[in-house]
Amino acid sequence: MSNVAKRQTSTLDKVLRVALYATLLSVAFIYLAPFLVMLLTSLKDVEEIRTGTLLSLPGSLNLDAWSKAWSSACTGGQCEGIGPYFMNSFQIVLPAVAISTLLGALNGYVISHWKFKGSDLFFAALLVGCFIPFQVILLPMARTLGWLGIANTTTGLVFVHVVYGVAFTTLFFRNFYQSIPGELVKAARLDGAGFFTIFWRIILPVSTPIIVVTVIWQFTQIWNDFLFGVAFSGFDTQPVTVALNNLVNTSFGGKQYNVDMAAAIIAALPTLVVYVLAGKYFVRGLTAGSVKG
Amino acid sequence: MNNNAAKAESAATPAGRPARLSLADWMPKLVMAPTVVTTIVCIYGYMIWTAVLSFTNSRMLPTYKFVGFDQYEKLFNNDRWMVALSNLGVFGGLFILICLFLGVMLAIFLDQKIRVEGAIRTIYLYPMAISFIVTGTAWKWLLNPTNGIEKMMIELGFEDFKFDWLTDPDMVVYCLVIAAVWQASGFVMALFLAGLRGVDGEMIKAAQLDGASIFTTYRRIILPSLKPVFFSALVILSHIAIKSFDLVAALTNGGPGYSSDLPANFMYAHAFTRSQIGLGAASAMVMLGCVLAILVPYLYSELRGERHE
Amino acid sequence: MASLTIDNVKKRYGQTEILKGINISIAAGEFLILVGPSGCGKSTLMNSIAGLEDVSEGRILIGDKDVTFASPKDRDIAMVFQSYALYPNMTVAENISFGLEMRKVPKEEREAEVQRVADMLQIGHLLKRKPAQLSGGQRQRVAMGRALARRPKMYLFDEPLSNLDAKLRVEMRTEIKKLHQKLGTTIVYVTHDQIEAMTLADRIAVMKDGEVQQLGTPQEIYDNPANLFVAGFMGSPAMNFVPAKVVEQNGSYALELQAAAPTVVPFPKAEKLAAYVGKSILLGLRPEMITEPQPHKEGAEFVTTANVEVEVTEPMGADTMVITRIQDAEVNCRCNPAYPAAPGKVIELMFDTSKAVAFDEATGQRIDL
Repeated sequence: MSNVAKRQTSTLDKVLRVALYATLLSVAFIYLAPFLVMLLTSLKDVEEIRTGTLLSLPGSLNLDAWSKAWSSACTGGQCEGIGPYFMNSFQIVLPAVAISTLLGALNGYVISHWKFKGSDLFFAALLVGCFIPFQVILLPMARTLGWLGIANTTTGLVFVHVVYGVAFTTLFFRNFYQSIPGELVKAARLDGAGFFTIFWRIILPVSTPIIVVTVIWQFTQIWNDFLFGVAFSGFDTQPVTVALNNLVNTSFGGKQYNVDMAAAIIAALPTLVVYVLAGKYFVRGLTAGSVKG
Repeated sequence: MNNNAAKAESAATPAGRPARLSLADWMPKLVMAPTVVTTIVCIYGYMIWTAVLSFTNSRMLPTYKFVGFDQYEKLFNNDRWMVALSNLGVFGGLFILICLFLGVMLAIFLDQKIRVEGAIRTIYLYPMAISFIVTGTAWKWLLNPTNGIEKMMIELGFEDFKFDWLTDPDMVVYCLVIAAVWQASGFVMALFLAGLRGVDGEMIKAAQLDGASIFTTYRRIILPSLKPVFFSALVILSHIAIKSFDLVAALTNGGPGYSSDLPANFMYAHAFTRSQIGLGAASAMVMLGCVLAILVPYLYSELRGERHE
Repeated sequence: MASLTIDNVKKRYGQTEILKGINISIAAGEFLILVGPSGCGKSTLMNSIAGLEDVSEGRILIGDKDVTFASPKDRDIAMVFQSYALYPNMTVAENISFGLEMRKVPKEEREAEVQRVADMLQIGHLLKRKPAQLSGGQRQRVAMGRALARRPKMYLFDEPLSNLDAKLRVEMRTEIKKLHQKLGTTIVYVTHDQIEAMTLADRIAVMKDGEVQQLGTPQEIYDNPANLFVAGFMGSPAMNFVPAKVVEQNGSYALELQAAAPTVVPFPKAEKLAAYVGKSILLGLRPEMITEPQPHKEGAEFVTTANVEVEVTEPMGADTMVITRIQDAEVNCRCNPAYPAAPGKVIELMFDTSKAVAFDEATGQRIDL
């Protein structure tokens, strides 16, 4: 067998192997190119952009576009850059991620280890929430936020993200807790531990991997959200995605592509950093969120 | 529902049983209660609410004057909606096909014991971590006819090169396809790669002992065994396509004119900026219908499969 | 230590009845084994005793106290699980003392108790390790230690040895038996392994389809099975069931077998066969009751010799199992390895029917009880 393989590792196989690597690397370049272009453009001045091409290098390391994008570019009415909105996004994302992850963990714990009549049915009903097009809930939610007095506020956005994020976080935790043997919970009950003691002392300490996956998933989803941001935020509570879109579509005073690109990279940076640092967990979240447990 | 379920359960306990109603017994239900309430209200309740609105003549504010299917009739007589719908067909179809093809091919290529697999995988997948707004912004610049790829090719010596799809009402929808494929194909690759790694190694050995070539092994043995992955990818991609809103907002803003609108943008524009709540609600219901048309058969087959396992 | 009374316990899930009225009562200090094939309800019954599942009807008493509706932690029961269910994030010592901590036992007492249990089970050197760092046998010990630490009224063992390899299983079996003899505690032990049941139990409850088929001491169950199921389930190799015709002989009754030639064998409680004269029944005969001819038994009251054709032989060292066939029924005979039995050969075997039992072919119930 290995002899046969050796004999065939002749020229044809070598050529194929080279072609394979060439294909993979050029595709990799195509995937990288847009980001590379963004980065190069953000470092040029307007004149260089006008005369050069996408991939031409900037004459000098020019960070003007970056500082402008951060603190003085116009996003619709105001000209404060996207810095304040970047902070807004954090104010929305951090509590929304924390609350939806905690709720998901508790829900998953109940659905896998404290089943009650209707809990499975409810889980199925909740799963549908992962799939509905959110356009269906936009109008009623806008009315509800108004009634609750949290329309156009950060609190309102946190609420919306928690409500529609819990379906996913519950799914993640439920699938993970499903693999924890029920005997463990039974043993703890016989030992005299109650609902929260078991959660806190037995279940949570072994949940680190799924907590990481869930936090990363929720962080990426909520940070990258545009629909809820544009529909439910006020002028000064806009998340960075909405501000970026306004900046790019604000057209007075000539287009400044370098500023647009710098702003876009700033807006993408937190999720990119998370992806680079914890790519393994990010992929696990993607596949767990899509392929049912 | 939580309350009803609890009642049903206590009714099912045998007669004469002393009530064991300590707080501890209620804890699981109490903990689930907030999620149960918000799910019932904010998912199912709102769905019904939107459905109700779609049968009214609400404009700026919701009114409850029912007009039957008028809004739906208006919707399907609305040229902009029909453009959005046909755009969804073209965009969705191409996006899904190209993503699946690229995803499968890249996954198979990467499965050949590639030395720098980890790094390449990371590069293929990073667009998925980025917001569609950023993707749209980047590609808007790349596809820009005066300064983008067109200019670069001309400078490189291809004097007649023309690439102005972004401003061509007939071609602009393909720009959406390009940007969306760039963003999502790596994800499909990751799904299939995970699937390939899960294929039983002994099965492949058996096929090789049977004399199958690598090509035949993939075509006849491995890929058919990835049917579930294929279906999940299909469902997720169509879901992304139907919900696509931010990409259009950032890349084309629906233009030129409304030639690159998708249903999600139509819905948002009518419900929130053009004071046509009734029409917006009707379009949202049609979108829901599209998602359900894909989702229900999928879930049905999944659940049936589970029962057979 | 406490007695256990299970009084007409029923358990239903929707329409299906998992337990169909179980009645068992054992005295304090007894070792009860619930044995039966999977799906017979033995685990459900054990969970009901522990309070981990509610029963639909009936009562469960531990000592004199009705605990039917008590929550698990109020029943003062400890349980050893099949998967051991050790808390993965805690050390062995923390695992053992967790139950004490939940019952608010002071720290010094907990430590003393952990030490006592560790000494008893010889796991002192493992106390600082996490469960993932232990071998299967060590985990098993720790799981027992966790149960012992609380000194509960009763211990429940749920197939505790089924995840161990064969050699370790035999060792641990002996150890559990020693522990029971030393502590004299009440134990309920679930297994599907009939050898474990025979070796460990004071009393065995053989279960099938949610019903107790027979409750008795191991010897009673071995010698006097209540029906075909119990007879076939307990004992390895299983009891032979030989089709036989009831015939009248010398004013009494006997059984005619179709060996190489028709052979009539006597039956101890012949009068019970009266109603079956001329009909076919199943004769239950343990393999060790069919042997090579043994001179010292020659001429004894219930001993007959007959010729049979050998199908297969299975040497087991101490004995050789000779497998033959009587009227389509496979029959296992336990012979001396020196006895020349070879496949295809017709040999002479000695049938000792002094402990034979008889079953109705249709109902599977004992005829001669």
